[in-house]
This record gives sequence, structure tokens and C-alpha cells, in this order.
Amino acid sequence: MKLNAVTIGLAALALVAGAGYASAETVSSDVGASFQSIGPLAFGPEGILFAADNKAATIYALDLGSEASGKTPGAKDVPAIDQKIAAMLGTDVREISVTDLAIEPRSKNAFVSVERGPGANLGTALLRIDGEGTIDVVSLDKLKYTKVQIGNAPEADPSARRDPRAATVTDMAFVNGRIFIAGLSNEEFASKLRSVAYPFDKVDQGTSVEIYHGAHGQWETRSPVYTFVPYDVDDEPHLIAGYLCTPLVKFPISKLEAGQKLVGTTIAELGNRNRPLDMIVYSKGGKDYLLMSNTSRGVMKIPTDDFGSQEGITKHVPDGNQAGIAYETIAELEGVEQLDFYDEGHTILMSRTGSGALNLHKVALP
Amino acid sequence: MRVLTFAVASLFSTLATASDVRIALVAGTVEITGLPPGEDDRWAELVRVTVHDERTPNAHRPAVVGTYEIEGDVLRFRPIFAFAPGMSYRVEVEGAEPTSTILHVPANVGVPVTRVDRVFPSTDLLPENQLKVYIHFSASMSGGDGLRFVRLVDENGNEVLDPFLPLGEHFWDHDRRRYTIFFDPGRVKRGILPNEQLGRPIQEGKRYRLLVDPDWRDAQGLPLAEAFEKSFRVGEADEEPLDPATWSLTAPGAGAREPFIVDFAEPLDHEILVRALEVEDASGAFISGQHEISRNETRWSFSPSEPWREGSYHLVVLGILEDLAGNRIGRPFEVDVFEAVRPEEQQSYRIPFAVVPVSR
Repeated sequence: MKLNAVTIGLAALALVAGAGYASAETVSSDVGASFQSIGPLAFGPEGILFAADNKAATIYALDLGSEASGKTPGAKDVPAIDQKIAAMLGTDVREISVTDLAIEPRSKNAFVSVERGPGANLGTALLRIDGEGTIDVVSLDKLKYTKVQIGNAPEADPSARRDPRAATVTDMAFVNGRIFIAGLSNEEFASKLRSVAYPFDKVDQGTSVEIYHGAHGQWETRSPVYTFVPYDVDDEPHLIAGYLCTPLVKFPISKLEAGQKLVGTTIAELGNRNRPLDMIVYSKGGKDYLLMSNTSRGVMKIPTDDFGSQEGITKHVPDGNQAGIAYETIAELEGVEQLDFYDEGHTILMSRTGSGALNLHKVALP
Repeated sequence: MRVLTFAVASLFSTLATASDVRIALVAGTVEITGLPPGEDDRWAELVRVTVHDERTPNAHRPAVVGTYEIEGDVLRFRPIFAFAPGMSYRVEVEGAEPTSTILHVPANVGVPVTRVDRVFPSTDLLPENQLKVYIHFSASMSGGDGLRFVRLVDENGNEVLDPFLPLGEHFWDHDRRRYTIFFDPGRVKRGILPNEQLGRPIQEGKRYRLLVDPDWRDAQGLPLAEAFEKSFRVGEADEEPLDPATWSLTAPGAGAREPFIVDFAEPLDHEILVRALEVEDASGAFISGQHEISRNETRWSFSPSEPWREGSYHLVVLGILEDLAGNRIGRPFEVDVFEAVRPEEQQSYRIPFAVVPVSR
């Protein structure tokens, strides 16, 4: 067993089912999704927006139809976008939180998920920002959707023992016909990674995996994954995952099969007291890079050249900072809370200024 | 619902026929009567509702999003989210005689009644590498980030710096009545810088107080009825995996309904313990019954719905069961990968016991 191993044990949930919990995922289709909570977001096949409802332990696939684009293609900068959204929702800016940002790949409009609350006035909204900077609330009433429960949902049968776990989805990505879902639980300090085929009517039971990372001296322990991107390493599809405190780990998607054990590789240690927020992959000057935003270490630009050849980190990182693949911190990108790929030259960000306002803006890829 | 009437503030010093226009807040909608007749189809275009803030009365804000319905000579505007208690809204009606008014939504007033019910672990002796704390409330809370309302102070009254993990996720249960806090494992795990610099958030031999700020809001937007405090002392770190061989199982006699009792050698994680143990009979079927956790999470008792029958049984333990430091059966929270031969983690463990006839 190598020290840097990320062990992915594929666990069938059958046993839990036997213990009196709902585990069979239920799939349903209808019109007019009703969210209890919203975010993260991920775009899938044409016009399909995946949106997680953590409170209901449900992933929605919304068929946006004509709502996929506003009047004008693109996404224009909107200063103090949080204040504008709060006003549209009839509330104070302190009462809303932006939970995710995703760019619709064809219209290039920005979609933003927002929760209103906390307090007596909980609510959710999905908004679209177009190339004129016009903000519209996307009306879900007439939109078709399918949804799948991802386990740990409140038990429908009141006589069954209640399961108080809340599986919080931290990130989602659509890869080769499957939606991959990373999440963590309010009880078990570990990550779950599941994948479900789309359309959901062919749902498999998903794969529940636990991921461990070890890089710190001799010690390895359970740790949650926060964000990940699909990326081909040496022509093989991988997921590149960012963990708390902050290892970067690669593992091949093909090995994510029920019953398999998978050993991933820690290719970089990016520093502690830090949580990765968002990642994108882009090309510039014939080279690929990973752009990663963090809670306390700014935005990192990480070349992917050595993702294939990088030896797994097996030694204690003495100063608690950085090891493995080197990165560059992009100094001019400060306070970045949300990040998505826009086009070959640009990324769309939401960043918080010193005065506390949240701005939506498009910037050239570094 | 209180109906708020207002004085029309005409923007022009003309003789205002706009005085015919009446605007009021009715059942969560803005109700407007007296709009010019014959222009029903234009009414919605004439009306604009925006958030009003006394501090920035002239700031331009986008209109509140909502729907309009017209019934007779009444136009009703219904916002997509309910008007919020304590907020003010400006309603403007355009036209030859523009009018505008401010409507105030009364703030929630009520007597705070929600309180911290219980905190787990319930013991006042925690290991130095304690992993989690669960806070239970007597009613649903507002959700959101709870870490702002929880502090840890040492015996000198000094606040412990960054003891908890800012996970960025808000670990409420489905009813928002339970909140989970993780101690920062970056400070708990050995060999990582924060641990070397700061040491563990709580240290052996010292006393601490976990303080819950009463300003934490419940689902009604009201503060807690009172502050809460849990005082505890800290013992040595627990790095041993759980070992069922150290548990004591007490089986009742056949025909009785006495509970089957499992006593652990140490307190376990309450919330996982709630769902990690079951009893199955010889055929492998789970037995229905009630379970109870007591003695500071060192005892699990199971009372069957039907009297016990003679025979062999199993206590079924899910592999997720943890002690206070996150150690599991056969697997401590931290693994020395140079020394430990890692066993395959099992999904569940089955521990046999027997129910025998009561000797007369």
C-alpha cells in the first residue's frame, strides 16, 4: 500500500437497505420543479441543467428549453450582482447567498443559483444573466425535469427509523453520459462520490465511494473532496479532485466500477488551512492548465503537463505549504468565490470586493 | 394580516385624481384599486414595486419580481418570494398622475422560546482528538452558517483560535434542528503544519467551555431563549480503533421483554450509534423494537416489540460506527501506513449472542 494512496472502496448499499433505510433511488419526471435548496449546478447534454437540492437529497435534471438563453448571447459584467438579485427577490442582500455559477455552453449566458434566508423566508431561485447584463429569474413552472434521489433522503415511511444524515453535494460534473456527484455527510467525515447515468430512467444504484488521502508525513486519514473536474491524462479520462487542506488527486474514471478498489495519486499538496472552491481546465499557448480558486490561498494556475508523470507524494511536506506539481498564484484575482469556464480566452468569476459587494465579471484566462 | 393604508404622495402638485388610487398590502400581495378604467391591459406596466431602504432612499433598484392578476377593478401584485417581515417596499404607479407610496411589513415580534436541547457528546470528558460536536435545538432553526454563533474558550476565558473546521457547508439535519460541528482535523491530524504550530484545538488536562450565542436565529427569525454553555475537560487522545471484544453483551431470558444491553468500553458517537446497530434473528431477519442510548453514549439497549424467543441472534454493527475521535472498528481515524497492515474495512460486523430459557 503506497503512502499516497487514495483508496476508493466501492461499497454496495445493500446492507444499509437491510437495516431499514430507504436506499433505492427513486426517479420521477414532471413539470415545475420545486426546490427546497439549490446548488451546485452543472450543465449536461443540450439544454439540460443539473441542479442539486441538498435538503431533499435530490439531483434535478432541468430541461431549460427556451429558458437556456436570454435575449443576447454571452454574459456581461454585473457589479454588485448580489444586491441586484436581493432587490429582485424583495429582500436585503444579507438574506441571500449565491450557491453556484454555471455557464450555459451554447448561449454563454451565466446561470446563478441563489438561496434566500435564513429565517422564516426560505426560498430558492435560479437566475440567468445575458450578454446585456440583464438578470432574469428563470421560471421553473413550465420546465420539464427528471429527478433522482441520491439516498439519505428523509424517510417516506414514518414507521421506519429516520435517517438524520444530510448528504451535502459539494460538486457535480457531467462526463461521458454520467453525472458524477461529490458530497459529504453531516455525520461521517469522509467524501462520497457517486455517479449516475443520465437519462435517470436508466439509473444504476450509483456508486458510493469513500476516499482517503494520505500525504502528511506518515499519516493518512479520511478527508472530504470539494471540487473536481474531468480531464484526460495521457489520453485516459480522469477525475482531478481537490480536497480539504489541499491535496490534488487524480484517478482514472474507468476504474470507478462497482466492486473495484481504486488507488489514486496525490499529485500536488497545495497548502493547509485551505479549502478548494472551484476548478476549470483550459488551454493556452498549446498547454493545458488547471485554474483553481481557494478559500484562503487565492486562485492557482497549475500546469497539467506532468499530471501523467508526477510521482505520488509520499513524503512529509515539511513546511505545510506545497509539494509536487508547482503552481502560480494569480495575484490579480482576489476574493473569487465562483468560477466557470466561459470560452477559450475567458473565465467568468464572481468575486467579493473589499467593501463586501459580489461582482460578476469576465476575465481573460491567465 | 394587517392591512396597511397610506397617504398618496403625488409627484405633481396638480389636483390629483390619483387620490382615487388606493394601495394596500393584503394577504401578502400589493392590492391596487382605482386605476384608470379601460386600460386594464396596461395596468401591470404602470405598477412597479421595489425594495425601499430608509438609509438609501434614492438608490436605483431593480423591481421585485412577481406576478400580476386583475380582478374587476383591482390589480394584485404577488412577489415570487413572500414580502419579508421588517422590510419596506415602494409602490409606484405611473400615468398622468404618478403616485408612489411606501408600505411597511411589520417585523416578526414574538417571545423567543427555542433553546439548545442537548449537545453530544454528553460526557464532560472529551479526548484531545475529539472530532465532532452535535447541537440539538428544541425547534427548527433558520439554517445557514452556525459557526458564527459557537465559540470555544479555555479556562482563562481566552477564546481558542479557529478550533472548528470552516467546511463551507452548513451541516443541518433535514429539520434544521441539529447542527454538526467538526473540530479542525488539520489541527488534529499529526504531521500537518497547523497541528505543529497550534497544537490540537483542545489540550489534555485543560478545561474548556463551548458557548452558544443566543443571537442564533430560529426558523421564525427569533433569537434563542437563552445562551447555552457546555463545560468539559480534556483527556488523552484516543487513537485506538474500536474493538467489539471489549464490549459486554447482556442477553435477556426467553419470554421476557427486558432489553438486550450492549455496554461499550468508551462513549461512542451518538448520532451514528442511533443508526448503526440492529438485532437479527437466526434466519437473518431484523427484529423490530425500540432502542435507547444512555450512560453518556456508553450503553445501547434494545427492547423488542415481541417477547424474546429462545434461539441464537446477532448484533449487527455497521462499519461506520465511531467513537468520539472518529476511530472505527479495526481502523483508527489516523493510520500509520508504515506500520499498520490495513484490514479491509467491512460493511458490517455480526456479533453472536443467545437467548436461553430462564432457569427456574
